[in-house]
Amino acid sequence: MKTVISWAYGLGHGGPCLSFPIASITIILQAPNPMEDKPLVVLVNQHPAGGEIPATMAVQVDEKELKAAGVEVLSDGRRGLRVRGWEIESSNRSILNSRELQLWEEKLQTSHLPEMIFGNSSLTLKHVATGVKIHFNAFDALTGWKREALPPVEVPAAAKWKFRSKPFQEVILDYDYTFTTPYCGSEMVETNNEQVAVDYIDGLRWEDCEEKIDVVALASKEPILFYDEVVLYEDELADNGVSLLTVKVRVMPSGWFLLLRFWLRVDGVLMRLRDTRMHCIFSEHAFPVILRESCWRECTFNALAAVNLSPPCSPQLPHPQQKKKNKQEKRVAYKGYQVDAAAYNDPSALSQRLPIIMHKTQKLKLNGSE
Amino acid sequence: MSFDPVPSNSYHNLDEQIAQLMQCKPLSEQEVRALCEKAKEILMDESNVQPVKSPVTICGDIHGQFHDLAELFRIGGKCPDTNYLFMGDYVDRGYYSVETVTLLVALKVRYPQRITILRGNHESRQITQVYGFYDECLRKYGNANVWKIFTDLFDYFPLTALVESEIFCLHGGLSPSIETLDNIRNFDRVQEVPHEGPMCDLLWSDPDDRCGWGISPRGAGYTFGQDISDQFNHTNNLKLIARAHQLVMEGFNWAHDQKVVTIFSAPNYCYRCGNMASILEVDDCKGHTFIQFEPAPRRGEPDVTRRTPDYFL
Repeated sequence: MKTVISWAYGLGHGGPCLSFPIASITIILQAPNPMEDKPLVVLVNQHPAGGEIPATMAVQVDEKELKAAGVEVLSDGRRGLRVRGWEIESSNRSILNSRELQLWEEKLQTSHLPEMIFGNSSLTLKHVATGVKIHFNAFDALTGWKREALPPVEVPAAAKWKFRSKPFQEVILDYDYTFTTPYCGSEMVETNNEQVAVDYIDGLRWEDCEEKIDVVALASKEPILFYDEVVLYEDELADNGVSLLTVKVRVMPSGWFLLLRFWLRVDGVLMRLRDTRMHCIFSEHAFPVILRESCWRECTFNALAAVNLSPPCSPQLPHPQQKKKNKQEKRVAYKGYQVDAAAYNDPSALSQRLPIIMHKTQKLKLNGSE
Repeated sequence: MSFDPVPSNSYHNLDEQIAQLMQCKPLSEQEVRALCEKAKEILMDESNVQPVKSPVTICGDIHGQFHDLAELFRIGGKCPDTNYLFMGDYVDRGYYSVETVTLLVALKVRYPQRITILRGNHESRQITQVYGFYDECLRKYGNANVWKIFTDLFDYFPLTALVESEIFCLHGGLSPSIETLDNIRNFDRVQEVPHEGPMCDLLWSDPDDRCGWGISPRGAGYTFGQDISDQFNHTNNLKLIARAHQLVMEGFNWAHDQKVVTIFSAPNYCYRCGNMASILEVDDCKGHTFIQFEPAPRRGEPDVTRRTPDYFL
């Protein structure tokens, strides 16, 4: 059933801004008919736009475990918890609308941004006593992309394009369309609710260290008090692969652990994985002990095929059918590299096969401390 | 045209199949094969620039989001009560590519004058092997036959449509190798989408703020500026280029001083973008109305699994 709730004149250039939540339908009327005039817009709404994306599958955590760990769950529709002096919060929102996108383009001085920027989504971990705040957001990550500005990677079809006759007025665009970023999180000291951004030199710094993240301890199945995954941005590279930046976190009674992952696959050309792991063991120290491990891996399709022609054997294949399929059915190869395309979809499964090009472990320090 | 490709006694069957598909239940391989045979006969007679009359509702990418397609029909009106023009990308990404594309093809066979289905860059053998349709066919039919049948049929889908000689509709955008609509009418479209050339451009190119032709940093793929759109519309007496291919948060997005519009009809794309979808109604008097809509309420559809706790390392 369509009902008219409101209407208004005046579409802006590039379409209307529909930032306000509406119960069912809004009609924005324009001068009718002649095609030169701006058209009529009807909006059919079922739930307010732009809000938290509802998750039908809520995380089930045993209440007893929460109580035993002294957890206080955040209220007012916020996702997260307070535990052992930390406040940890995640937020999954819609992609940027065109007005926000325009603003970001101006701020980042580019007209080419990922097609899906979850610019209002974030993960924040705050140590309440010291104001130390670790957070993850798309804007800082894209700032890193802009700064790194890697040279473009050509797709296989480019070889054929080189022989094409060039049109008049041709411009070759040269931004890094893979949106590769060195981003490994943002940190600041936040005091008295006043955000005081302290840069690496003045406030917090990451210092190389010999310690390693204790993977064995993390592999133990202690209860997960909180878990979430936040996508920061994603691009389909115009159907030439995927570029994806996500962060996931789990909070246990002993501490929190997170993985920020940049995953890039340019079909037929290149795979790139940039992982940042952070681990904090809850303690009574005044200043929290946080380890950060960065591991960058990269490999071309050619190099990977040369090492091993069979698709990777993954313990984490999403569908049991997929295994069966690989045995039963040979993919019709229109291009050699696509034979194993599905095998290259899961970075977790691939990770061990991609050579490491950079690895370091660091510890968070407050400047002035040793 | 009074040519009726389906004998009326078989309408009953077809209507039953459409009813079944509307419930998101796929047809058997045999039924798909028979359906695609009929569809091929209809589609091969259509032009590369298929003429379409108003009123018509123009739709963008669907990407296997079947329940949102059903919602689209609830909002836009049932076919054949409403005439439809779909601008490609029926398959891949979503969970129900099979049901989505089968339904659209069944409607095309049942009401050939009421619905136009253009080819998108995902209606190709190569792309569907990477982005989901191939895998979905294997999962639902146990073999790749249905994928083969559909991708063979995709070769016959028209590339563009022309609404009342004024609105030029296509999946991607313009090509430096194409100046007039006659250029398009003249080439042989029955083939896999090539990696370069005019047919590739029509299904892949994007409008851009920058003037002239831009080559993507990928080394393949064109962008076209407002000067190019102005020139093309002027040469061909067009008022508007309607295209799909790109995700836009509001479901539609004007470019090039309202000479080009992008329409995207998959709400909450990939089940997590939170974007709106839209369709463009062109009425008898050629007036335009954009209808925006949000995802249909889901029934037992697998949710994005990112909220399932896992002991990742």
